[in-house]
Amino acid sequence: MTEQPVSKVLVLDDHPECQGAIKQLCDAHHLVGLKVRKNRLMAVLRSNIDLGAILLAEDYGGSAMASAEIALQINTVRPELPIILRRTSVPTLDDVPEMLRRVCCAAYTLQDTSPLQRAIDEYIFSVVYPNALVRGISEITQNVLAAQFKTLTPRWHTPYIVRDRIIFGEVFSLIPLESSWCRGYMMLQTEEAAVLEALNADRHVPDADFREVNSLLGEITNLIWGAFKNRYIGDVGATCCHPIQVPIIVNHRQKYISFGSENPQLCFRYTLTDERSGAEIKLYQRFVFNLSWSPEDFREIAHDSSELVASGELELF
Amino acid sequence: MAKILVVDDSSTVRDDVAGFLKGNGLDVATAVDGRDGLAKLKGDAGIRLVLSDVNMPNMDGLTMVEKIRGELGNKTVNVIMLTTESSPSMKERGKAAGIKGWIVKPFNGAAVLETLKKLAA
Repeated sequence: MTEQPVSKVLVLDDHPECQGAIKQLCDAHHLVGLKVRKNRLMAVLRSNIDLGAILLAEDYGGSAMASAEIALQINTVRPELPIILRRTSVPTLDDVPEMLRRVCCAAYTLQDTSPLQRAIDEYIFSVVYPNALVRGISEITQNVLAAQFKTLTPRWHTPYIVRDRIIFGEVFSLIPLESSWCRGYMMLQTEEAAVLEALNADRHVPDADFREVNSLLGEITNLIWGAFKNRYIGDVGATCCHPIQVPIIVNHRQKYISFGSENPQLCFRYTLTDERSGAEIKLYQRFVFNLSWSPEDFREIAHDSSELVASGELELF
Repeated sequence: MAKILVVDDSSTVRDDVAGFLKGNGLDVATAVDGRDGLAKLKGDAGIRLVLSDVNMPNMDGLTMVEKIRGELGNKTVNVIMLTTESSPSMKERGKAAGIKGWIVKPFNGAAVLETLKKLAA
């Protein structure tokens, strides 16, 4: 499993002869290209697929006009997603219609992909996440999940970067992360029904309802937060000297959450599988460092091994 | 029978820990935060051991311990913190308040059962 985050992009391109080149571009830039049928496009955009950008051909749908209309629709539904236009003539937006120029952030050609590279760097991978942090978060979370769901098999998937603000599932938790090198939030999102099923089967809580789901998600969040603090924040009293906060906006109808920042978010997806029944819990974990981010100051806390006491053991004073 | 008071704002943890202790023959009471824990302790002289989280709403676990020793004047009840926290400064504050020990979550009942029984006796 790679520690280098990837990002999923929707490739809207009708030209089979270009697909190989686009796939190569995606591979080279840590992008995972997804294709969708035209008649499913809006449904996919309204679904819970985390995306980093849209790669749109200038004649997608059969004409420049059709492509422009699609770009506008995308921008209406998911305005946070950068749309990068593939052109055949020149790698600029200079001569495209005004309405299309307004919603696209860059243009490239297969002969000149440098604008694509710049757009990816600017809009998707503009925030550097240290590999040690990415690896550590995955380890911490997997350990917590394994401890909480003893009969389920936890798996983590390649971490990825999103610009989306969509909420997965019906229940999510949010906890602040405050340190000298980061300020923001960790969010865990999941589906209520899947967790209820696991509570009934795995943890023997026969009459579990949404309150048990809430409590369990809260405890998982708490455990990850505690381990994160112990490993990356230590004793720094960071909260006392940071008066700045911004409102967090949740739009339930749109399943949308905004932290007031356009920063790409670091995301992890975990699945917990019941190997007997095949039932699965999906858990999405997002890190949103919207208030401050100084990866150059990131460090792991070095513990004296003689002071370490394993989780669950009693340290007597 | 001596009683253990489990103080945690998470019902998942309260149910897990209390269920484990009860299943091993111990008498258990629960409280949802430090304020509730203080009230339960004040009203029940049979409590010999408090197993408490640190980060809780209304009153955190360490403040609760300080009030147990200070306001309640109870110097004898044993207190163990069960928390995700492991920072040295928090442990020092706990030691100064007179706690007996520290467990970093998740709770591994089998590893600590015998000690908890002794502390609750």
